[in-house]
Amino acid sequence: MTTIQTPQSTATTEDAVRTAETTRPPSSGALVRLVAGREISTRVRDKGFLIGSAVLVVLILGMLVFQVTMNSGGDETDIAVVGGDAAVEQALIAQGEAFGTDVTVVPFDDEAAARAAVEDEDVDGALIDPSGAQPQLLLETEAAGAQSLVQGALTSLSTAQQLSDAGVQLQPGPQVQLVTLDPDPEDRVQATVVAVVGVIVLYSLIILFGQFVAQGVVEEKSSRVVELLLSTMRPWHLLAGKVIGLGLLGLAQILAIAVIGVVGALAFDVVELPGDVIGPVVTVIAWFVLGYAFYASVFAAAASLVSRQEDLGSVITPASMLLVVGFLIGIQAALSPGGTLARVTSLIPGVSPMVMPVRQAAGEAAWWEVGVALVLMLLAIAVVIRIGGRVYSGALLRTGGKVSYREALRAER
Amino acid sequence: MLEFDGLHKAYGDNQVLKGVSFTVAPGQMFGFCGSNGAGKTTTMRIAMGLARPDAGEVRWQGRPVDDDVRRRIGYMPEERGLYPKMKVGEQLAYFARLHGMGGAAATRAAATWAERLGLGERRNDAVERLSLGNQQRVQLAAALVSEPDVLILDEPFSGLDPVGVDSLAAALLEQCRRGVPVVFSSHQLDLVERLCDAVGILARGSIVASGTVTELRSSAAGRQLRVVVPDASDGWADLLPGVRVVSYQRGDTVLELGFGADDQQVLAAALATGRVTHFAWREPTLVELFRDAVSTPSAVAA
Repeated sequence: MTTIQTPQSTATTEDAVRTAETTRPPSSGALVRLVAGREISTRVRDKGFLIGSAVLVVLILGMLVFQVTMNSGGDETDIAVVGGDAAVEQALIAQGEAFGTDVTVVPFDDEAAARAAVEDEDVDGALIDPSGAQPQLLLETEAAGAQSLVQGALTSLSTAQQLSDAGVQLQPGPQVQLVTLDPDPEDRVQATVVAVVGVIVLYSLIILFGQFVAQGVVEEKSSRVVELLLSTMRPWHLLAGKVIGLGLLGLAQILAIAVIGVVGALAFDVVELPGDVIGPVVTVIAWFVLGYAFYASVFAAAASLVSRQEDLGSVITPASMLLVVGFLIGIQAALSPGGTLARVTSLIPGVSPMVMPVRQAAGEAAWWEVGVALVLMLLAIAVVIRIGGRVYSGALLRTGGKVSYREALRAER
Repeated sequence: MLEFDGLHKAYGDNQVLKGVSFTVAPGQMFGFCGSNGAGKTTTMRIAMGLARPDAGEVRWQGRPVDDDVRRRIGYMPEERGLYPKMKVGEQLAYFARLHGMGGAAATRAAATWAERLGLGERRNDAVERLSLGNQQRVQLAAALVSEPDVLILDEPFSGLDPVGVDSLAAALLEQCRRGVPVVFSSHQLDLVERLCDAVGILARGSIVASGTVTELRSSAAGRQLRVVVPDASDGWADLLPGVRVVSYQRGDTVLELGFGADDQQVLAAALATGRVTHFAWREPTLVELFRDAVSTPSAVAA
């Protein structure tokens, strides 16, 4: 035996003593945390991830801006008034409320200026000499809404004037109390639109993060690092760490998008009631968690069958197809949330995360339907984790060709 | 003691291991030899929990090796594997933590080992940007970074240049001095002979020879004597009792002495022919021992 004298030999003995004290076997939780931590720290420095996230945020902002420009002017009516008084302004605003539009009265000094403003579309219409015998309404093109609004305002003004002249003291009529059996369908439409946008985000993120999980699994197999990893932990530690780590990142991302979206939508008045946007957003996030757990596990198990990134497509395509089909049905469900297709598919695990939020937002899902969909989805997740975990454990150390599901399930270490 | 006890393993009809047993003492360097496909890798993978034996077990300090014990074992798989896009330093720290080191200690150990194996300047490089030789060093560092109690290395020397071999050998000897039992497999028998205190030869699914190289030599069937007698004619030793002539080559004679044969009688016969320039027991090299052990159908376990 050769002996090589090194000056380090005494130092290393001390090292050994020291580390023996500081090192102890990590618990399962610690191992899962370590794996999850590595996934997160690797991903947040990955250019592809950063670009993907930025694109999603830009998309959401773009949708907001689009909504804002589409909505602008729709619920607001600017009316130029020449020669009016406070009573005219009040009457116009009151009439506007009845028409569901915010009326802003812009006083103008002469008719020519008001006419120019109408032509430049600075105002929606101009009312000339409202108190005179022959009031005139200038519009860019004939619009029944504006005409009846102004006509109504002037009629009520004139009626009040005539009654007061005749000595009649007007008493306000009794206030009608509103009881809605079915909440305003207008609100439902807004909530549904929010849910559809949410489902688009949910779908994109599940595709993105499911893909990350699958690529990560294959990377560990193709680089053979998996053998070294499995000498320190069980396959399920690795699987759980990977799925949870990337899942937390996905959740953080959907939460960030939700906050940006909700705050933006409320700030820009895209939606009127916070409930219309917050309700569907919370539902979508909850379904994202379930959908991600399902697809991430399926993708991980499928990916463990192959050893090269090139082969990944062939094994994850079936699951991706289900995801795409669910997405298309989810979008379709916005049009007929009570239809048979939407009703049935919103219960099917794997499809439900993209259909149910839309139906819930549209107010078409009965509580028991949501309950059944949730239970079925949770059951499916349990089954997928159990079988997927076995496939993953069985296939992980079989490098080389493509492993079949049957082989993986039968595989003994 | 690291004990491999009666390991059996079959893959389908292929009986890979048929009762592999050997023991490695603390501080001992154990060379694990065998032909391709003899089952060396399977034996090591069983120790690391990557394959389940059909029978038998591996024990460390009398206790069956389980997940907790395994985290105190440094392992180098035959198929090298590291995260290609992860930086060297971070990767080493990650493996240290998987073996149970705290965050700060792991970072420190990663820096120390990168430095010790000459990777100090490459710590912030992704592994895939390193040369193969340097990747091999990172692989070794990953096995050593947690200051393990046991080292199991599958073909650690393959693919290294002579300088790399020397620095790896020095690193392993240092671990032995720390009291760590080191098991490594290798095809480079000269290296095994030079480094190892003990050797195990695996053939046809079981250990056909094990012990120190000296023990293997003394137990080798048929001891050979080399006698150089320049003046003798061929056939001078033909009639000596218990002696079989292996070869004559212009006076350079190799004899195999059977049980009870007297070497002094051979010497006397040699002197009778004239000058004797060489008279010595021939030490079989490990390569010869290996060939013998692997080719003999009957087991000659020591």
